[in-house]
Amino acid sequence: MDHISILTDYQLLVVIVNFGLGSKVLKIAKQEGIGGGTIVIGKGTHHQPILEFLELAETRKEIVMMIAPLRLVNPTLDALEEKMKLHKPNHGIAFVIPVAKFMGMGKYDRSYKLNEGGDVMTEYQAIFTVVDKGKGQDVVDVATQAGAKGATLINARGSGIHETSKLFNMEVEPEKEMVLILAKHDIVQDIISAITHELDLEKPGNGILFVQEVHQTKGIR
Amino acid sequence: MTLIASKLKENILAMLPIIAIVLLLHVTLVPLNIGQIVRFLIGAVFVVIGLSLFLVGIDLAITPLGELTGEQITKPNRLWVVIIAGIILGFVISIAEPGLIVFANQVNTVTSGLISSRAILITVSIGLALLVSLGFIRIVYNIPLFKILLVLYIIIGLMALFSSPVFLAIAFDASGATTGVLAVPFLLALSIGISRLKRDAKASEKDSFGLVAIASAGAIMGLLILGFFASDLVFTDPPLPDFSGGDSILSPFLQVLPSSLSDTLVAFSPLLLIFIILQIFGFKLKQRPLFRIIKGFIYALLGLLIFLIGVNAGFMEVGDLIGETLASNDQPFFLLIIAFFLGLFTIIAEPAVSVLTHQIEDITSGYVKRRLVLIPLSIGVGFAIALSALRVLIPELQLWHIILPGYIMSLAMMFFVPKLFVGIAFDAGGVATGPLTATFTLAFIQGAARAYTTANLVVDGFGMIALVALAPIITLQILGFIYKLRTRKAGV
Repeated sequence: MDHISILTDYQLLVVIVNFGLGSKVLKIAKQEGIGGGTIVIGKGTHHQPILEFLELAETRKEIVMMIAPLRLVNPTLDALEEKMKLHKPNHGIAFVIPVAKFMGMGKYDRSYKLNEGGDVMTEYQAIFTVVDKGKGQDVVDVATQAGAKGATLINARGSGIHETSKLFNMEVEPEKEMVLILAKHDIVQDIISAITHELDLEKPGNGILFVQEVHQTKGIR
Repeated sequence: MTLIASKLKENILAMLPIIAIVLLLHVTLVPLNIGQIVRFLIGAVFVVIGLSLFLVGIDLAITPLGELTGEQITKPNRLWVVIIAGIILGFVISIAEPGLIVFANQVNTVTSGLISSRAILITVSIGLALLVSLGFIRIVYNIPLFKILLVLYIIIGLMALFSSPVFLAIAFDASGATTGVLAVPFLLALSIGISRLKRDAKASEKDSFGLVAIASAGAIMGLLILGFFASDLVFTDPPLPDFSGGDSILSPFLQVLPSSLSDTLVAFSPLLLIFIILQIFGFKLKQRPLFRIIKGFIYALLGLLIFLIGVNAGFMEVGDLIGETLASNDQPFFLLIIAFFLGLFTIIAEPAVSVLTHQIEDITSGYVKRRLVLIPLSIGVGFAIALSALRVLIPELQLWHIILPGYIMSLAMMFFVPKLFVGIAFDAGGVATGPLTATFTLAFIQGAARAYTTANLVVDGFGMIALVALAPIITLQILGFIYKLRTRKAGV
């Protein structure tokens, strides 16, 4: 595995909905065959001057991130649009971002595909690691040893295929930490190997890791 | 949905069951006159609007203020700053708590003036101040919550051995009275602010809860110590509540306006003071966040005022009447059932409960969902109110018969339950006893006690809050246990 820009057969599906609907999104996606997802709590605003003046414009949101095999992306999007009524205003948004590398979920068929488009290589890549809560700091430590300059920890919850549980008929997803590391191309592979090895991501249920191309950066030296 | 719309929806949903149960009783067992019904409904509207505004204000002002203060305290990295800040903050929050002031006056009356309300205010506030400080130290030094709670409650247990049963009830009630509507969100936010600086995400999450629980223990200890100095107490019955509203619909609302307004202003004054002082010397917030907090204060103040007016003018009288009528009907079964459902439903509309459940959701990123916390919390409080009603019916059933096994069970459960839930459960104990419970439900129990000839107003009047504070500790730890069993990874 050398560090040529590669695209996988996976894409990152992101859905932003009102607070409380994240688990429903994940459930619908799982019915379509998606292995799992990560949910982060966020805040959004309505653009209404009066409400903004009164400081009432803020709403709580949930951001659902799911790694989806290419063949599942469109069916899942369609199912989400229909069941979450995304075509109506204020019902949420969804978008898809390509993924450069992906591992975890106990899948070994990470079929990397060489990008034939030639030189689209960017200087930086973004490494996302999602692990059980409490292990985020380990990821940061390992990545730093492998040469990463810094990392951002995001509190999240999420579930993979191995973690489905219900309490009183409500979906419960265990807590996770998402670690975002921006790193130069030449050390990305080292960081990934270090994280994968240290957290044993090759084994199912230990977390996932994916990499996305970054086109521009500011503030990184 | 915007912030205010989501809060309104949430509170309307919380209020509907209470309205339903009162209307149902009205057409069956407890007919109310038209004035009472209309006042109750107006009160319910006030409560919904007031609660929504208050909670928006908490989100905008009190929670950020608490978190900022917490960060400010830990930033200098000096132990003495943490200790002194804990003592000062604990004291000023407690001394201005309207619930505690009412409670102190009540104790003063039933002890025939032997214990002055000032003595209670000061001892409880000192107890709370010292333990808030201890709570801060715990977070900073990563001392596990269950160890601290175990030690604290063993001390309380030993002290309780030497107290009279009546005073024991008063002491345990004090813990609920101190942790009021404003203290709870502020304490919760403080601990979040302090623990946020931790590197270890798991520890940071666990330590976000537990401060309210430790503070409540301080109030109990303060009063128990006071009790040692005030032996040979003579107890007199509390005066009958005066509900002279009659058929007039508006006048009760005007009558409670001055007291509600002064309660609100007094409750907010320490937080405003902390905010102004720290803004000048510490935070130095820029215009936008500063205005945001100021607007939040206005919302919270208005909201609390409207809420208190609604509860005091519309709810207390109805609660009292339901309790009295059901108890004099000589159908103890109905009294117990209604008590259970009143407890079950009123707790959902408690302001601090809403704050705690949202906080839990935010801290755990939605892992522990709001609705999942509300179910055991409601059931627990339902049982607590039913048990209080049972105490009215059976005079031989003393408070410590319930409290002692209850706390032994709670403490034992700490060893089996995920530590996050230990903090949540013990905090919920202090949170559950808010202004709605302390007025509506308490009036219900006191009304029942008055109608029941064998009941003793002093003995039965106190102790309900103590039970409300105990029940969630058990039920939420059970939830934690279920979580532990059900969220294990399968097939790995």
